[in-house]
Amino acid sequence: MSALKVNNLYRYFGALQAVNGVTFEIPHGSVCGFVGANGAGKTTIMRILATLDYPTLGSAEVCGINVVHRPAEVRRLIGWMPDHFGNYEHMTVLEYLDFYARALGYKGQERRQRIQEVMDFTDLVPLADRFSNKLSKGMTQRLGLGRALLHDPQVLVMDEPAAGLDPKARVELKHLIRVLAQEGKTIFISSHILSELGEMCDSLLFINNGRIVHHGDAETLKRGSDSVGGVLYDVQVAGDPQGVSDWCVLQPNVEFLEARKHGGRIRIDTQDPTKAADILARMVKDGLRITEFHREQRNLEDAFIDILGRLDAGKEALVPPPLPTPSSASPLITDH
Amino acid sequence: MSSPVTFLTDFSDRISPMLVKELRQGMRAKTFIVVFLSLQIFLAVMLFSAGAASNSNSVGTVISGIIFSFFAAAVLVVQPLRGISALSSEVKGNTIDMMVLTRLSSWRIVLGKWVAIVSQSALLLSTIIPYLILRYFFGGMNLFAELVFLILMFLTSMALTAVTVGLSGCTSVIIRFLIPIIGLPVLLWTLAVTFLFRGFRGSSGFMDLFSLDSTDSRIAVLSYVAAIVYLGGSMLSLGASLIAPAAENHAFLRRIVAFFAQLVLLVLGGFDKIDMALVAILSLIIAGPAMVIALTESAILVQTVCKPFVKRGRIGRALGWFLYPTWPSGILFTILISLIGLAAIFSHAMFDAGTSHTSVWGDEEAVVILSLLGGILFPAVWQVFLFRGEGQRVAHYLLLLAGALVMLGILTILAESMNSGAFLWFFAWNPLAFIAMLEESKLDDEVLLGGVIIVDLMLMCILFTRAMMDIRKSAPIIHEAEILLENPG
Repeated sequence: MSALKVNNLYRYFGALQAVNGVTFEIPHGSVCGFVGANGAGKTTIMRILATLDYPTLGSAEVCGINVVHRPAEVRRLIGWMPDHFGNYEHMTVLEYLDFYARALGYKGQERRQRIQEVMDFTDLVPLADRFSNKLSKGMTQRLGLGRALLHDPQVLVMDEPAAGLDPKARVELKHLIRVLAQEGKTIFISSHILSELGEMCDSLLFINNGRIVHHGDAETLKRGSDSVGGVLYDVQVAGDPQGVSDWCVLQPNVEFLEARKHGGRIRIDTQDPTKAADILARMVKDGLRITEFHREQRNLEDAFIDILGRLDAGKEALVPPPLPTPSSASPLITDH
Repeated sequence: MSSPVTFLTDFSDRISPMLVKELRQGMRAKTFIVVFLSLQIFLAVMLFSAGAASNSNSVGTVISGIIFSFFAAAVLVVQPLRGISALSSEVKGNTIDMMVLTRLSSWRIVLGKWVAIVSQSALLLSTIIPYLILRYFFGGMNLFAELVFLILMFLTSMALTAVTVGLSGCTSVIIRFLIPIIGLPVLLWTLAVTFLFRGFRGSSGFMDLFSLDSTDSRIAVLSYVAAIVYLGGSMLSLGASLIAPAAENHAFLRRIVAFFAQLVLLVLGGFDKIDMALVAILSLIIAGPAMVIALTESAILVQTVCKPFVKRGRIGRALGWFLYPTWPSGILFTILISLIGLAAIFSHAMFDAGTSHTSVWGDEEAVVILSLLGGILFPAVWQVFLFRGEGQRVAHYLLLLAGALVMLGILTILAESMNSGAFLWFFAWNPLAFIAMLEESKLDDEVLLGGVIIVDLMLMCILFTRAMMDIRKSAPIIHEAEILLENPG
């Protein structure tokens, strides 16, 4: 059973199709990054999973429980951290956590113990008496995480938690997420900072215009071919770097992309590493004094842009499941 | 060093979390502190000054007047106004979502907000009691009447706070600020005139009005209290609806209460000793808020809400169309409750017509009642065409209603200045225009009655048709609820 399971999910806001036939599963104990441009549908899907919104069609489950049919049970399993949340005036960090602990049904010593554990974990003890609306962005995010963890949820859904954080706060947040992942919690996290997601996520989910365009691990993405199916290599030589571009002009399946100080960046139109080895051998044979020849790892931003490029070029037809006709399926809700 | 968590014992676990939060915040709010201290300082200074110059017999009455004026300003103006942003700040700050994910229901959230402000008002009330005791020694005090007045003022403050807290669920700034600032004084004055001043006709002094020494005055006070309690409850329920997740049905209780209250009035309407005008006013007070809220419901229909109705078979399903928390079912409910209310009013009128005693009920009263009913339906008709599928239905409705009332005012002024009301017929599409016609037109009241009945029926037909169109679209959701009941897993 998956921790999160979304099946053929649609969400319309009037004429706007915010989510368009999304299907994915996230196994227990994994960290999944959710990537997409603003307005791609990330927050809508996350809100549906958190039982804060309703699908027009399709289903969403948290630990096997349907979010529409049994929202109260889902709420006990899920911790929700929105991208932005206001803090209260005239209320300290301690009182803020106390309010949510009370609202979650904790009483007496158990409540105080739970607050203490969360404050220790998120390092909020020194801030206990600070007013919650006077905290920095990083501190606020830690407070938000603390609030989301109060009922010890199995699944944590975090919408852009790193947005607006300074580098130090980002490192702290990343550390907390790593610790939570080690504790076996399932974490579904959206972010614009793809490099950070790549470091901490077991899998990445790319969404564009309400449709999932990729679901896989970060390493595969980094090592994957680019938008025209090639693989990039960095070649450095001793002597005249112009030799590399001259050599490439005469070769089939090799394209010189960019000159660098001691050589250049080339694209080889194959995924096969033995063919790359052959090309290297030919270079050496043709007199190029190679000092470095290595496959370049793409960063995740490039990978994301490539995937979108492929979609635009029609190379990858990631068509969502067909929209059920009114006779074969019914909307779960209607917006009057 | 002990952990700060060990100090979290200031409020018992038995107190609602929402109330704990609101009290912690509210007691530190500058508005409350300023009001509290200003009231104490002023009352102390005033009493000492009065004590120093207490050679006049009327000084006690003057002190009473001053104490009550300042207390009224604090609890009828400042405290209710503190509720204006109670819910909207949670909605805008995204904190309402986080609350909904806890075990707090939207009712408990709204109630907590309201109780917190009311308990601070109670604190203000308790602090003026020593001044009233001191004032007693100045003489000329009608103790019972002043206590009744104080309690009524406090109850009114509770109701007004409920209105602002309930409306604070609207994110529209215009509604949240204009309604309390303009609407509340009008509402307060209308209720006071309707009930209190009716019952206190013939009393000698203002404070004597509250001595409750006649049956009329006792009925008037009880009716006033019932009206403000009902109004306050309705507005809190509106607030809960505005922030509730779609799976919560707050319309159910609100509509059931209004339905049975109307039924009670229908029965009371059969007794000739009941004041007809009082039945009409009570009917309007019960039906009015219920209809306005029903017509402006913005919830979407989900299977979870349908399930309890579907489970009860055909009757349950039929009831659902009147009790689902959506505006199409709100229209059906409004039509139903209007018909019951009219039956309550007119059954009494018919009864009166068949008896020998003098009836105060005539065509003129009927025109007013039907115009007011039409006035409630009229903005809803515009709304279903102009603001389809939009949120903030309450805000739009209230703005349209305000527009219709402004139009009524302009028409009345125009008719007076032209000394002719014939042109008012061009504005008969706004049922409120018939009220202006009553004053200005030379037409027979029977003709006006016929006119307003036709306009009301047309409005009802338009709304009914529009509601049925949307109800048909919701059929798949009912089907989904049936499937859910058959396969609960």
